[in-house]
Amino acid sequence: MAQLKLEHIDKIYDNNVQAVYDFNLDVKDGELIVLVGPSGCGKSTTLRMVAGLEDISRGKLFLDGRDITQTPAKDRDMAMVFQSYALYGHMTVYENMAFSLTLRNENPNVIHKKVLAAAEILGLTSQLNKKPAQLSGGQRQRVAMGRSIVRNPKVFLFDEPLSNLDAKLRGATRREILLLHKRLDATMLYVTHDQTEALTLADRIVCMSMGHVQQVGTPLELYDAPANVFVASFIGLPPMNFFDVSVGSGELNGEGFKVPLTEDEKEILLPYFGKTITLGVRPENISEGGNIPVSVFSNENLGMNTLVHGHIGEKGARISAKLKGWANYKPGDTVPVKFDKKHFFDKESGNAIRKGK
Amino acid sequence: MNEERYIKRDRMRFTKNTLSSTLALVAILFNVFFFVSIYKSDVGSWYYNILIGASILYNLVFMLAAFLSSEGVKNYKTAYSYVLFVLGIIQIVRIFIIPMSAHGATVTLGGQEVQVMKDAQFIRVVIYLVISAACCFTSAVVGIIRSSELNAHLKTLREGQ
Repeated sequence: MAQLKLEHIDKIYDNNVQAVYDFNLDVKDGELIVLVGPSGCGKSTTLRMVAGLEDISRGKLFLDGRDITQTPAKDRDMAMVFQSYALYGHMTVYENMAFSLTLRNENPNVIHKKVLAAAEILGLTSQLNKKPAQLSGGQRQRVAMGRSIVRNPKVFLFDEPLSNLDAKLRGATRREILLLHKRLDATMLYVTHDQTEALTLADRIVCMSMGHVQQVGTPLELYDAPANVFVASFIGLPPMNFFDVSVGSGELNGEGFKVPLTEDEKEILLPYFGKTITLGVRPENISEGGNIPVSVFSNENLGMNTLVHGHIGEKGARISAKLKGWANYKPGDTVPVKFDKKHFFDKESGNAIRKGK
Repeated sequence: MNEERYIKRDRMRFTKNTLSSTLALVAILFNVFFFVSIYKSDVGSWYYNILIGASILYNLVFMLAAFLSSEGVKNYKTAYSYVLFVLGIIQIVRIFIIPMSAHGATVTLGGQEVQVMKDAQFIRVVIYLVISAACCFTSAVVGIIRSSELNAHLKTLREGQ
């Protein structure tokens, strides 16, 4: 297993477009790091730089303390799993999994043992004689993973491996990846644009936007204490509600609503007294029974919860609330709600306002 | 049975018998060398007879049968090994048909007696046919050995279950 260190890494393409800015990350031994962000944020580029498929324009990459910035991809001892599986259609599952080892002229008996062991881990033993075309998407992705496992690499790299799968299969394969990580205790870098995948898989998440790292932290840290408006809006489903509010004495004043502040919150917002800030509230942190009137325009029953979309007051800010239980609000109904947990962000910078900051 | 041998046999469950298959294809290749060497010969009208017609047809049959057999032995089908045996025997027999008769025949061209197939060409075509036959035999033997090993191994696995 391995430790990976990315130090001040930039990626600038030949046409002077910069895809990644000053990327720093320490990946611990056996850690599963998920790079998450919207399309075009530079997460796949970063992964490809780690794999050696893209040149690193500036900065250094270390594997177990060894500088591998200029090391060719084949000598980096990393295995990559692609979204498109990249399996050879004319080869059987067995041959696909054995292929990389065959190229390295390994003993066929050793290859056989490794392939059978990997197939056992991935539940592919009965599929070894089949061709990729005879397999489902999930099975194909498992073959792609198996091909990585047999190499016993220092680092596993996953580039959106579940994006081609349907929702049900994605959930099942996600659990398999998690089990695989626990079983192999391997260092893994995983790229996805799906925040659910990031939250469920990661030991730590790197949230990226426009080539910049926005926040690095555990899933709970990103969910509970987002560093800025971008992270707050990207992590969590449905996304967080944002309102412009002015900080008054003991309360926040928004368009058509007032929110009382606790003593702690008053202390945090003391430097912002009289100023306008951004208030963030997650839909699941909104409950019925307060003094904020929400005029409902749609009602989605999710089983245990009801997702209510509406406006504050008659024509105030839009709001989504995930209310407990099954409710059947009609468009035009007014629901009084309260905010159970609040996040504060600087209006100018978008950064979170926290104690001691 | 030691572990190494066991794994070698177990590998056959997932790998093809490429040695037998390749040998069968090499047999086809040398058969092509043989008939090209014969057909490019043009000594008077000696070759223009029914035997050459039959030879052309047999070449087509041989190539088809050898190719199908190469696919069969690749997948450890014992029956195709026997087909290759028969094809190998026929390749040997063929030495005694066109090459032998052409080597022993003469025609008169421009008032001179000319040997239809000279020694060098005769030796060459015989070598082609012998190699083609040898490849068929080796492919068949390897195929039979490997497929019986695999069947025995599969039987052991089934009994183990």
